[in-house]
Amino acid sequence: MKEKVGQVTPEERNEIQQLFERRNGLNELAKILTPDNDALYQKLVKDLGETGTKFQNWWDRMSQQYNWKSTPNGHWEINFDSCEIFLSEE
Amino acid sequence: MSIVRETDTGWQSGMAKSITFIVTKDCQLACKYCYLVGKNVKERMSWETAKAFIDYVLSREDEFREESVVWDFIGGEPFLEIELIDKICDYLKLRMFELNHHWFNSYRFSFSTNGINYHTPDVQAFIKKNREHLSIGITIDGTEKKHDLNRVWKQAKADENGIIHPSERGSYKDVVRNIPLWLEQFPNAGTKVTISSADIPYITESVLHLYSLGIHQVNINVVFEDVWQEGDDLRFEEQLMTLADEIIEHGYYRDYACSFFSEHIGKPMDPERDNQNWCGAGKMLAVDAAGNLYPCTRFAQYSLRSKKALIIGNIRDGINYNLLRPFLTLDRTTQSPQKCLDCEVASGCAWCQGENYDAAQTSTIYERSTAICLMHKARVRANNYYWNKLFRKLELEGRREEYENNKRDVKPEIC
Amino acid sequence: MMQYLVILLDDTSVSYCHADNPYSVRRLIGLNDLRAGILFAMKQNLMIQFVYPDYELPQEYLDLIDTIDHHDIKPWYAGASPADVTVFDKSVLAGVSPVNQGVAVLRLTKAELFENVEAIGKILLKMQRLNIVVTDIETITDEELKSYAAVLEGLASVLKDEYLAGRMPQLNLLTDRMMLDRPNHCNAGVENITLAPNGRYYLCPAFYYSNPDDSIDPQDIRNQQLLRLDHAPLCRHCDAYQCRRCIWLNRKTTLEVNTPSREQCIVAHTEREASRQLMAAIREQAVFMPEVEIKELNYNDPFEVRKEW
Repeated sequence: MKEKVGQVTPEERNEIQQLFERRNGLNELAKILTPDNDALYQKLVKDLGETGTKFQNWWDRMSQQYNWKSTPNGHWEINFDSCEIFLSEE
Repeated sequence: MSIVRETDTGWQSGMAKSITFIVTKDCQLACKYCYLVGKNVKERMSWETAKAFIDYVLSREDEFREESVVWDFIGGEPFLEIELIDKICDYLKLRMFELNHHWFNSYRFSFSTNGINYHTPDVQAFIKKNREHLSIGITIDGTEKKHDLNRVWKQAKADENGIIHPSERGSYKDVVRNIPLWLEQFPNAGTKVTISSADIPYITESVLHLYSLGIHQVNINVVFEDVWQEGDDLRFEEQLMTLADEIIEHGYYRDYACSFFSEHIGKPMDPERDNQNWCGAGKMLAVDAAGNLYPCTRFAQYSLRSKKALIIGNIRDGINYNLLRPFLTLDRTTQSPQKCLDCEVASGCAWCQGENYDAAQTSTIYERSTAICLMHKARVRANNYYWNKLFRKLELEGRREEYENNKRDVKPEIC
Repeated sequence: MMQYLVILLDDTSVSYCHADNPYSVRRLIGLNDLRAGILFAMKQNLMIQFVYPDYELPQEYLDLIDTIDHHDIKPWYAGASPADVTVFDKSVLAGVSPVNQGVAVLRLTKAELFENVEAIGKILLKMQRLNIVVTDIETITDEELKSYAAVLEGLASVLKDEYLAGRMPQLNLLTDRMMLDRPNHCNAGVENITLAPNGRYYLCPAFYYSNPDDSIDPQDIRNQQLLRLDHAPLCRHCDAYQCRRCIWLNRKTTLEVNTPSREQCIVAHTEREASRQLMAAIREQAVFMPEVEIKELNYNDPFEVRKEW
């Protein structure tokens, strides 16, 4: 079940979309980068940590700012096209 | 408590640079309508060429400022070179990250494939590795009869110049077996259907067949080349009206889309306000096995019947930006004949810059080919019929508003 | 509307424009071709511009030429007879005294131009009108453009003194923009076409020089609309009116007759700016063409601002 619970601005959408894209990029890079390429590997590990934090910060910040509805078993989703936020329950 | 769902409709459309690797000019098939008249077994891209091209592009971030990039792979059949493609993509990811290139935050790998090798271990391993950044379109033309009319295997041997030629063996069965796997991996994927003169009688059954396979988005267009026979437009209109009836009667309009029907086509166009070019040639960049650069793959020699390749540079000397100026200043009115400017149903009438160039009287990209004129007008008539019928039905059922709120947005296909 | 027919009387006829004439072996146009060309011009109401080689033509050619009203374009050489347009090369810089009548065309390379500003300034004083044609302008670099601007500044200084003294010699690169209220393009293929010594027609002599197979049907020029200003997306918005909008250079550099290269645009805009400054300098000391305004621009290549149109 999916319920629309909010909307973000295009600028806010751009921020999370870029983080989403970066996280995906880092995850797929992690599949081919091995520790023997030490400098790049360290850079990747650091970036993964930083991007993950920024990602979570965005959701925390936005949910607080807009006061989105939440449920114990639910999670939020964003539609990048419409900037809409949905509450989705398994 | 958060996940992100990305909807895949027109990813970063208009903001992404499309960069194409012509990794091979070979293909398992020799489709009869294929515009690639010079496909051959000889021109395969080497790793050295691919790497040099990547290094050239990534080292010029100030020249390529688009927010996003689509790294596009075509052939021939790109998946014939899966080993090279895999190496290219790995290198791209590493280098974009290493250089802190802004495209690392926004890239896709895009493929148009005939689907024959889709299930093979190498292709599947590649998909698994790059899943979040892939856009893969498999071309299936409709029913077996329609598909096999044009999409046939090549003859076992190329001619003395390495050029491949069609056999009589259709490829439908070899493609359709991979459709379920493809849709499982890319549920929102669409297919591209091409219509030439001989295909017209099979349009309705083919679109419905593709829907029955689970393909929800059918992007379909008539070929731009001057292949049309007298009466084709009327036969085409009749097929589209039958298709319209089927889509409306069986309610396919709710969950399926066919790009032939669009609310945005068939209107007059303002010479000043609606003056943009249709085609993206010049904003794209393509490289071939020789390291030559093109404004679009359609300007490579293997795509051209009667003109010389339009090469805008190479991986050693870079791009000659003077050769891009005509592409980047091209507008609708300058290249169109008066009949197009006066046309009452002009909107949605497409053109291909490469075909315009190939068909022009002189060596120019500024002469619009109007070979599809009657076909577009036929499409508009059937399209008007479709929307009038659909909207009336929805009005009578009191569901017009519901439809408007939930309709799939079919954007015009711009190459 | 077609107005002129240029007839190259010989393969070695002088080049009066950007393209060098690659032919060094004399070959006169056939008398029958010349006759047919003259007849064509008469029927189409075209003014003929005969372009001469650097030797005296046989009498039967001179007689035939004399059957129609025309203009002569001749190379300068010792003993040459007067012409409507006289074409000089760099030898004029070495002290040759040019004929002071009609229009003079001075063909130079960039390097020759940069090295001879003073000499050119002196020649300018003897002329009613001087057209400088830089033959390798399409390869100008940003660094060379600065030298070009300096040359124009030097020549503008000469012209300013002359104008303030009440004399008005014309120099295409500087005074045309002040005088013109609309473009003064070459308009090859629209207002003029060329008959070459091989009896075939061309858009202009340069097309013959670069590829003799590139001929046209003068009654049916294919894609002729692309030669017109309204089909040139950059040029139709441009007010560097002195620019010749050379379609041969366009095609050579961008592969399209209707699209100029960056080099052609930045040179034209450097000339435009020099004209603007010349006009301002004269106006500091005298009332001068008060009805004319050349606006200051913040770009040198219209391509950079194409999205604003």
